[in-house]
Amino acid sequence: MKTELSRRRFLQGTVALSIVGATAAATALAKTEHKSKSKIVDFGLTKTQWSDKLEEIPTLCEMCVNKCAAIARVEDGVLTKLNPNPLFPKSRNMLCARGNAGIQALEDPDRLKYPLIRVGERGEGKFKRVTWDEANEYIKDKMVKIIDEEKDNRSTIGYCAGEGMAEHTYASFMGDKIGSLNYVNHGSICLATTIAGYTLTLGGYGQADLENADYVIMAGANRAEAIVTPDTMDMFKRTKGRGLKMVVVDPRFTNTAAHADTWLPIEVGTDLAFVLAMTHVVMTEERYNKRFCEENLSDFEAYKKHIIDKNYTPEWAQAITGIKADDIRETARDFMAHAPRAIYYQGRRTAWSLQDYQLRRAQAIFSAMGGGIDKKGGIIFGKKLPLGEHSIPSPMYDNALERIEKSKAASIGNSGSWIAWRNTIIDGTAPYPVRAFFAYKQNPMLSIPNTAKTKQMLEKMDLVVVIDTMPSDTVMMADVVLPESLYLEREDPVKSFGGAEPSIALRIPVVEARYDTKPVIEIMRDLGEKLSKPLFEISKKYDESLQEEIEERGEKEVYKEEGYDLADGYRHSQETINHHMVSSVYGEEAWKTLREKGVFYPDMSKYFKKVSANEYEYYPEHKKSYSIIKGDLNNEPYHDTCVDINEIAVLKKKFRTATKKIACALYNFEKRKGVDAMPTWRSELYKETPEGRFKFITGRHGQFTQSGSSNNALLLDLLPENYLWINQRIADAKGIKFGDTVEVRSSIGAIEIKAYPTEKIGKNVVFFIHGFGAESSELTLAHHRGANDNAIIEDVYETTFGSAAMHETIVDIRRV
Amino acid sequence: MARYGMALDYKSCINCKACESACKEENGILLGADKHRIWVGVKDIEGIFPDLSISSSGFEPSQCQQCDNAPCQTVCPTNATYYDDNGVVRVNPEQCILCTYCMEACPYDARYIDDRTMTVDKCNFCSDTRLINGETTTACQATCPTKVRIFGDLDDPESEISLVLRARDHHSMKEHLGTKPKLFYLT
Repeated sequence: MKTELSRRRFLQGTVALSIVGATAAATALAKTEHKSKSKIVDFGLTKTQWSDKLEEIPTLCEMCVNKCAAIARVEDGVLTKLNPNPLFPKSRNMLCARGNAGIQALEDPDRLKYPLIRVGERGEGKFKRVTWDEANEYIKDKMVKIIDEEKDNRSTIGYCAGEGMAEHTYASFMGDKIGSLNYVNHGSICLATTIAGYTLTLGGYGQADLENADYVIMAGANRAEAIVTPDTMDMFKRTKGRGLKMVVVDPRFTNTAAHADTWLPIEVGTDLAFVLAMTHVVMTEERYNKRFCEENLSDFEAYKKHIIDKNYTPEWAQAITGIKADDIRETARDFMAHAPRAIYYQGRRTAWSLQDYQLRRAQAIFSAMGGGIDKKGGIIFGKKLPLGEHSIPSPMYDNALERIEKSKAASIGNSGSWIAWRNTIIDGTAPYPVRAFFAYKQNPMLSIPNTAKTKQMLEKMDLVVVIDTMPSDTVMMADVVLPESLYLEREDPVKSFGGAEPSIALRIPVVEARYDTKPVIEIMRDLGEKLSKPLFEISKKYDESLQEEIEERGEKEVYKEEGYDLADGYRHSQETINHHMVSSVYGEEAWKTLREKGVFYPDMSKYFKKVSANEYEYYPEHKKSYSIIKGDLNNEPYHDTCVDINEIAVLKKKFRTATKKIACALYNFEKRKGVDAMPTWRSELYKETPEGRFKFITGRHGQFTQSGSSNNALLLDLLPENYLWINQRIADAKGIKFGDTVEVRSSIGAIEIKAYPTEKIGKNVVFFIHGFGAESSELTLAHHRGANDNAIIEDVYETTFGSAAMHETIVDIRRV
Repeated sequence: MARYGMALDYKSCINCKACESACKEENGILLGADKHRIWVGVKDIEGIFPDLSISSSGFEPSQCQQCDNAPCQTVCPTNATYYDDNGVVRVNPEQCILCTYCMEACPYDARYIDDRTMTVDKCNFCSDTRLINGETTTACQATCPTKVRIFGDLDDPESEISLVLRARDHHSMKEHLGTKPKLFYLT
């Protein structure tokens, strides 16, 4: 009940939000006018009766990270509807609530419209409108001073980016052209541990083939609410006794759990113990695919010995996970009985616990023991259609120093560890100062655990530049704001989507860019034009290699050939680059198809079929790329006429790991970095929840994309604010009723939020959705709506990859 | 003439509300939680943690049931609510006097007030936005991630909806009231 049962009840819960209605009127104005115009003709709107010019333009959605294909209906230059584009295999002819709400993002009156320069104190939110040239001039003056003072150490410029099709355009400008190594992106607050865990173990993260799986363990992954394509669409058509058996392991009863055959509520942070115990079951009972393991798993016997020696029994795990030993046994047996069409789902946002990386390793090995790797119905790698190349020269900077937080975890890659990086800046342990900060399409004020520290970091900077579409909390902390065009107004780099049914898809503008906004490629170009010469002068002063080069070859040539012209490569339009990337590989006709249809793959016109109103076929079955890894079928020692060897996957394959086998043990990693070679439960890394207190967990929602959609009028219509899930009996004991305001306090801060008492969560856990609680006063609808989880999530990270551990925070709850 | 109906494979529903938002955008419905033509009903789960009954929970996408014997039409004093030739129950805003009898009469809670047109409005299977332009699906069917809905002509024995209804068990909501809905829930 409460927030979601009946329509009437829903109304009761939301009538106070008159602000939605008020702004709605404003944002829906264009549409309303059309409606009334059409009313004269008929009862309702008919596009052909009033529209002089109707266009249907294919594009790609950017309301979240999935990039679903959409067809925009544009009437007289006004976007009136976004519909799904059936041609794209990845999005399977659908557009979710957020995809539909893209129109509201376009029409949002709070959008960033013009370049801005701060006039008040940092964070005060006072800006003046300037021209692009004035903004870039301001940035140039600051950059020249900073880089000169830092003696051409380009890494003094820190930069971050959120996920997006133009992320690479931005990151290569900041990293390859300007030359800073201090990049942080979404990886370390999202999926770094699972990508790394699966890649090191299987040779790739792969794709769960949920369209064909018979059995899946969804642990913590909530595909009904955190939509991932095509996983979400493939799964839920076959749940509830319709072909896909699903076990959901989650501390909460989610919408995904509502589709499960079995729901196993687990103690937060103990998933590794659960997987190790299931591994113990199938190893001691010898229920795994022996041939596959013998042929394809390295150090399997050592792992077996490890699991048994450590005594990871179901009884051991029951005491830790709270899941009954018999349920662990049954799940493990059931999984192997369905293998190889059985998947332990890899997970997406896996920044959970301090042991997350080993958890993902254990999952990958457990899945592999069933043989369902590179196999239809298991984890597949699929194919990716190649695109042409577009490369530009990038300068070498002698004085650009290594990233500052490199030593803070065993293996910190090019995209960094957000928390470690930020904390290194504010705790004074950085080997050199990071003095400027650029943000693109990321809102670290709300997205990184411990908002207070992010603010502190931004306050330390001599220059903060933010590129975005909305006046986020991070924009409020900026010195210079550069407004990006909305996804519906711009062309982005063409993208190839791998999988069993690979394709290429394109985002093109469906309406003209409004206000004084630009796509990232043009923002980088303009900055490049402005910065190239002055920054080159600084390098000339400090960079000895450059000085030698100039002496040998002359300044003009070095400047051009070595890529010191920062704008080169950004001067072509995105369309020109995309044209080259596609036509150079697939020809002009392919390019034409891609632009007209939004999607291209070889033989699309031949393969693509409409099967029914709801079903499409993208490739014929024999053309789908389920198994792509080459292998030798060594039939002799296992001659067995009773089974189809291909079906039980006994090929000896060459996986893309160092040993060409699925890696049970990573001894080198242990030797060099002290990371456990094999998944091992570390009780010292597990924090039990003290009596009377709660572990806080966060999560996603199908009508809300992090803080990015927090000001969307239509989505707020569906989900007006976040609520604190708290166990009903605990709430009763504390006198907390639905809708009461409660305080949630952790060691780093406190927030206030409305309560949602429910039996769908255990007694020692509380939860609310990420992304609400914006402070920015420029976000009319999002301002002070709901609560910001990162104001209370402690800034701890696991020490293998520096990934945030967002579910390690203990909180207290009290009614206010 | 066609007679339109809809079959709902409601077990596939994940309560993502894509249909609700597509409906609003397609039909230009004002924002506000009390203004919507379609919605997803959520059955509250029974039991106490951790012993919850999964089968007691579930999602039930709903909207105007397009009754063949529509109580809202019977009580309408001005005939603003009428049956279209294709069986769709529609509303003529020119004739609606906002008496709200239809809101009271509808056993499915499917009518709402559109403040802009001053009409007690309802789902019309996208008659004036899509069907009139020759489209063969409603906005809610087209956009649905798990493809819950099948829209089509009940009088055409070869239509997809007719084939599905012949092949699979189904029920309608509150059948005992004799409203003869043209929405069918596939079981």
